[in-house]
Amino acid sequence: MKEFQTHIPIRFTLNGSQVAVEVEAGETALDTIRERLRLKGTKQGCGIGECGACTIVVDGMAVNACLMLGAQLDGKEVRTVEGLTATVDLTALQQAFLDHHAVQCGFCTPGILMSAQALFDENPKPTHADIVKAISGNLCRCTGYGHIVAAIEDAANRLAGGVG
Amino acid sequence: MRPEIGYVRPDTLDEALDFLQGHAGETAVVAGGTDVMVDLRSGTLKTRCLLDVSRLSELKGIALTGDELRVGAGVTVSEIYASQTLARFAPALRRSAFTFASKQIRNVATIGGNVAHCSPCGDTVPPLIIHEAKVALRSSKGERIIPVDELPTGPYVGSIGSDEIITHFLLKPRESMFADFQKIGRRRELAIARISIAVMAEKDAAGKIAFIRLALGSSTPTPRRMTAVEGLLLGKRPSAALFWEAGRVLASKMIEITGRRPSTVYKENAVQGLLVRLLYPMVENGKTL
Repeated sequence: MKEFQTHIPIRFTLNGSQVAVEVEAGETALDTIRERLRLKGTKQGCGIGECGACTIVVDGMAVNACLMLGAQLDGKEVRTVEGLTATVDLTALQQAFLDHHAVQCGFCTPGILMSAQALFDENPKPTHADIVKAISGNLCRCTGYGHIVAAIEDAANRLAGGVG
Repeated sequence: MRPEIGYVRPDTLDEALDFLQGHAGETAVVAGGTDVMVDLRSGTLKTRCLLDVSRLSELKGIALTGDELRVGAGVTVSEIYASQTLARFAPALRRSAFTFASKQIRNVATIGGNVAHCSPCGDTVPPLIIHEAKVALRSSKGERIIPVDELPTGPYVGSIGSDEIITHFLLKPRESMFADFQKIGRRRELAIARISIAVMAEKDAAGKIAFIRLALGSSTPTPRRMTAVEGLLLGKRPSAALFWEAGRVLASKMIEITGRRPSTVYKENAVQGLLVRLLYPMVENGKTL
């Protein structure tokens, strides 16, 4: 029978690279990513799954990193906002956020980008309603969402048209 | 500072049950983690050890076998929404998955966790009740099967033994001509239901209600089937007047259970409105209020 461990060695793919790290049993995936692996793009907002600021993509699905154990990342394919692009160029999605002024304070932006990215991976031609539904787990207190939805729609159109 | 806790991820259900047996009373079962992590953070949940069952293949899968619909406890809410089998044979359950929390939570939260948490407002519970679902619980000593509405004994407390894991649910499949789940929350998305209702119904050739199952969530200490409302509606022709009458019966049954609480001023009316809104498409097909 397996026994429990207080410190768990895990290995997973983070933004395309293999990482190995030891986590504490009760540690959130958010703390693993921010504090151990020093990727500060993923934000902590509420810490209880209400705001979506900590959204990351695990095995192709958007999840709240604050509601996941670091130990549960073991063996998974994980993408954070730092992994959207490997170069200094922006993706069509990121560029659309600039073009549409979809960023104000910016705190919600990484989470919303990841929710939108997961949507595109699942459904390359989302409707307006699909977009609204996909980001409804992400709170933004600045923009009123209009610019954000417009940016995601524009990015979807550019991607569908083969640009970006 | 948080006291140090342990984590284990068994490879098989038997391993998990053995572990639970050895650490009963000091272990919390984690599947999607969306309730456990919140309770751990707030301090509501104090535990020595976290048992991760999220990868146990024994808890997965949705299958129709004969006259039973088996839904694994580890099936996520997103998987419920995506299931063609559930769309056909348990449409109200699928409907509840559409409005459940947020995409991020639906992707990991499991039906087993939703039921095990014993929240009065678990969205999957009223749809399970109308399908007369049974819960299968396993421990290293064996299996027991109980009706889903008998699992919670009050808000956030239930009859799950400290050495038990919910493995699956057994539903009575039914292709109904009309099925829905609706809830009232304080906002449209990520809303905790204040009142929820699941229903499925059929009309006979004469247009009278020939079959109906109805369950109320979030309004009583544990979600429950409302047979008095079903009895009133059965054999009658759908009309707005009939549904308002059913609403009054539903509200009085609710108050019979809860007594008059501060929220009753609101809920007494709201539960009637929700019921009428839910059932109204049966009056004129395709139209909603």
